Amino acid sequence: MAYLHLFAQHGVALSRMAPLDIFHVETGGCTACALELRMLARGLVATCGNMRFVSTPRQAALLLLTGSLTVEMAPVVELAWQAMPGPRALAAVGDCAVSGGVFPPNYATLGGVGTYARTSLSLAGCPPAPEEILAALLNWHGRDDAGAASPGQ
Amino acid sequence: MSRDVSALIRAEEPTACRERFVLEPTAWREMAEALPHAALPLAGLWADGAQVHALFMDGVAPLIASVAVPDGRYHALSPARAGAQAHERIIHDLWGIEAMGARGTFPWLDQGHWPVTWPLRERPPPAPAAPEGVEFTDGATMHGAGGTMVGHGPADGGFQAPFYLRLGLPGARVGTVSVRMGYAHRGLCARMRGRMPVEGARLVARIEAMASVAHQRAFSHALAAATGRILPEGEEKASVFLSELERIASHLEILVQAAGLVADARFVATGASLLERVRQVCRDLCGRRFLFDVLPPAPGAARKLVLADGVVAELRAGCMELMRLFRRPRGLATRTVDRGLLPADVARKWGIAGSTARASGMEGDLRRYMPASRPEWTGGPLVGDVTARLAIRLRECRQGVEMLAALGGVAMPPVPPVPEHGSGEGLGLTEGPAGPVWHWLRLEGGRIAAWWCGDPSLAQVQALPDILSGAMEADVALILASLGLSAASADL
Repeated sequence: MAYLHLFAQHGVALSRMAPLDIFHVETGGCTACALELRMLARGLVATCGNMRFVSTPRQAALLLLTGSLTVEMAPVVELAWQAMPGPRALAAVGDCAVSGGVFPPNYATLGGVGTYARTSLSLAGCPPAPEEILAALLNWHGRDDAGAASPGQ
Repeated sequence: MSRDVSALIRAEEPTACRERFVLEPTAWREMAEALPHAALPLAGLWADGAQVHALFMDGVAPLIASVAVPDGRYHALSPARAGAQAHERIIHDLWGIEAMGARGTFPWLDQGHWPVTWPLRERPPPAPAAPEGVEFTDGATMHGAGGTMVGHGPADGGFQAPFYLRLGLPGARVGTVSVRMGYAHRGLCARMRGRMPVEGARLVARIEAMASVAHQRAFSHALAAATGRILPEGEEKASVFLSELERIASHLEILVQAAGLVADARFVATGASLLERVRQVCRDLCGRRFLFDVLPPAPGAARKLVLADGVVAELRAGCMELMRLFRRPRGLATRTVDRGLLPADVARKWGIAGSTARASGMEGDLRRYMPASRPEWTGGPLVGDVTARLAIRLRECRQGVEMLAALGGVAMPPVPPVPEHGSGEGLGLTEGPAGPVWHWLRLEGGRIAAWWCGDPSLAQVQALPDILSGAMEADVALILASLGLSAASADL
């Protein structure tokens, strides 16, 4: 798609034509948020949404974390982030990922990734319902698209 | 011979916990040496810093043997009970207490990234520098055969709790299996110490979302035993109601996962719709789609648990439709037959219990011994493949719906009185969606001084090399889904 940039008005990048590829990592919670994401993923398949969960970070534009970040998972998340190509964003879904929730830092956990890194999307809840997650993703994706498509940005 | 070991344990000093006896080190050693000749299944092994405790099932009654470990060592049980291996390694990782003569001494939870060593000790020493990577020993068989090594997890874009599985593939079938745990370890034992019981209940509800009620219920049983409180029948009925609602949701989740893996779209659509309906029912009854904070109920929770008109009929019809789809020609049952075989003797060797063990032909449904239960709700022989495990889950879904219908509306249990300065010790158990869930706690001055939780997932993780060896690599995800093992509740 890169050649299209040559013909775009004002020479700006076009909005993303590809679907939003999401790489999900459960980093050490009770997995309720992950189960709600799984429910959402089934819904996305059913509705052929412009959004999908992928099985490798090399294909992903959004790294979506659920659960409190355990010490053992921290290097894994770092590797996944480094493996993501081009423009990438970080999302924290659920209380544990946003702020640590009921699993604040101790010898085994670092707490919520939202307290360490700047997240593009942060959604609290224990757990947030699939429709809330979808609304947050659509809202963020829509803003991202609008930002990328507007001239001079 | 079981009687001998049981009598040996019961002859020792009794404790405040009526199932627990403290053995002298010599008696513990005698017990460990007699265990290979006894049929006393090991259900758990843990430490509290001063003592190591082994939980056995003496028939249907729990029996705990304890031994003091003043010098930080005790006689290992893993030579007699294979399922003790992971427990012994976890005790060493958390407390630095060594099992003498243990099978397998590598760390289980501590993979070298924790800032301290033996974190549950009063003064844990600092940890050495974190390792650069992990080395796996693949064995001479794999080196001789060549082939490839395939990794599953801990981050593969899936929706399960993280753990790592390394499979050696000399051909299309799995040759060697290595498991690495600890990614989901949240230090729950350290978090529970010093908490009020009510705070502890909020935490145990979030050990594993698919077995939240089971953990809350076992914890409340342990707390009641520790404080000498007798649970009223109404409270037990509400627990059974919520447990069955959770069991239906958990089994449906696993069935839909398995159907997705064999691309049975009709089963996925029907099952996922029914699962979503159950989650909505949970939200209508308790304010959440997952049954967190129901035992004891959170402030503002509903006073009575009553299913809306038509819900039972809807769930019953959904289960019947799933059973029809499951057994139809080229359906889920026929496409998963003879895969992931877990024979009864292997299940017994690793101490596997619950629906997975029942699918292997072992009897072990604790629900039949619970109050407000009926014998006709449980039972049945099966052969231990993926089809059997899924069939058991489907059957238990239908039984769960009938149990909900039979129970009707139940009153939500009140918040139990919290002992302000109470002390005591208690053991609680319940049959969760995956199997028996145990909680043991000691109260001192109204706060939790020591706590342990036993979950069926740990035995399943240990049995993975036996279950997956010889399986087709393409079936691994399906076999894992059918087991329903949770790294979150295995690692705690």
